[in-house]
Parts: sequence; C-alpha cells; structure tokens
Amino acid sequence: MMEFIACVIAIAVAYQAMKAYKLSKEKTLLYLNLSFVLIGAGLLVDALSSFIVLLAGLHRGFFYLFGVGYTINFLAQLLAYGLLVYAYVHQTRNLTAATEALAAVPLLFFERNAVTELILIFLLVYIAIQTSINYSMNKNTNSMLVFGAFTSLSIAHVFFLLYTVKPLFYPFAHIAQLFGFLLLLAMLLRVNRPS
Amino acid sequence: MISDTQGQPAKPTTKYRSQLRIYVDMMYVIQRESNQAKPTRILYGANLSHDRLVKYLEELEALGVIQESGTEDKVYGLTQKGIEFLNNFRKVESFASAFGFKI
Repeated sequence: MMEFIACVIAIAVAYQAMKAYKLSKEKTLLYLNLSFVLIGAGLLVDALSSFIVLLAGLHRGFFYLFGVGYTINFLAQLLAYGLLVYAYVHQTRNLTAATEALAAVPLLFFERNAVTELILIFLLVYIAIQTSINYSMNKNTNSMLVFGAFTSLSIAHVFFLLYTVKPLFYPFAHIAQLFGFLLLLAMLLRVNRPS
Repeated sequence: MISDTQGQPAKPTTKYRSQLRIYVDMMYVIQRESNQAKPTRILYGANLSHDRLVKYLEELEALGVIQESGTEDKVYGLTQKGIEFLNNFRKVESFASAFGFKI
C-alpha cells in the first residue's frame, strides 16, 4: 500500500516535470521527468509482485516474484537516480552509450542485498547533498522539502540495507520511503497552489 | 580578454539567457511597472540592447502576451494570456528551483 502511494506521488512529480519541460525545453527537466517515471514504474512493479505473492497465500512457487519485482525496481531506481546525478553533474558524456552499457549487463534476478542498496545509497546521498546545497543558497520551503525528501529516501535505503541483517528494519524503511514521497507531494501542492 | 595557457581566449563561464528567459524577464518588468511599462524601463529592467528590445517587443506582441497602449508615449501592458502565461511560468520556475534547476 505504501509503495502504491509513493508510486502515485512519483508519477505526479513526473507529470509536473513534463509540464515544466514542455514550457522551458530545459533538458534537466526532461531528465527529472524520466527519473520519476522510472521510480514510479519500479515501485509499481515491486508493489504488484508483492501483492500477487500475498494473493497467492505466500505460496512458495510464487516467491521468485519477489526477486523479479525487486530487480526491476532496483534497475529502475538505479537508472532514475543515475539520471538525476547526471542532471546535477551536467557532464558531457554520451548518455546513450552509458545506457547501452547498462543494458549489456546480464539480467539476473536477485533478492534485496547489501551491494544493490549501497549503490542506491551512494546515488541518493549525492542527490541529497546537491539539494542541500540548493537549499542553503535558496533558503525557501520548496527546496527544503526536496532536500528533506531525498534525505528521507537515503535513510530508507539505509534501513533497507540494515534489513538484510535484521528484518526488524523493513517497516521503518517503508515508512521513511513514504515520508520522503509525502514531502515531495507537499512541495508539489505548494508549487501548484493558486497565486 | 582572459587567455588560457595556450594563448587562446578563455571560454565564457556564464550561461547565455534563453529566448524564453528574456521574454519572461521583459514580462516581469511590465508586471512590476503596474502593467504600464515604457520601453526604456523594459530595456533597463531586462538588460537588453535597443535592437533586441524592439525585436522582442514585436515578437511578444505577435504572441499576444503583451499589447501596446498609450497615445503619445508608447506603453506596454500584459494581456490576459500574458498574465496566465506568467502565472504558469512562475509555478514551473518554482518547481525547477526546488530541485536546484534553473530555467
């Protein structure tokens, strides 16, 4: 349920970013749109696969779906946060080549593990630092909400990392993830309030 | 002119304003002037040369976002379409700025 809510918020952010891109034709906003579409899609697939396993009464034969859902969600998040990092760094590297290189990696389904979570934490911490710099310069509430959102998402993935050691952290991870997306929703509502 | 070690002129580090940014800067000036801005005000406020001011004013009028009024002195005001565009742009700018992206 939490992932479904987060997915809807991610799609709403993507929609706003698309509106912004259509108006300004600024490529960074297109990257922002694509990254949130990917995040939303990843969350949806992960939530649906978990839902199917639950519907099947946690039948052992359906357990591989957890792996499928997580793998797709991980790859979507990896691409999404990678795109956001790219947008912040503004490197002139060939993005298509990077995407093709990633696609060449053999696709293996894997369970939630420390390595994948560490990769996402690394990307998210970078984005959180960039948004904190932006907040320190702008000092406005919207920037603070975005900074808070990415900090919360980083914490969520730290909890997901800890979950690989202790299952106790799993609900905390989902709560932190949902909180991050709710902060993004608050920012969207503030931006779109009538002037 | 600042040169690099090879004696070549250094590339400018400042980003040029996009056409959209210039349009919006001009429209902000008009709005700030209570919707009755003289061309000189727009010229200084949006930091433009005279030639570019004339060109962009014509383009904005053709787009229907500003209109000329006044009998003796030329005065420009935003149309309803211009006001709506500026409101939308402000939302988009605020959204992009929250992530640290500039338009």
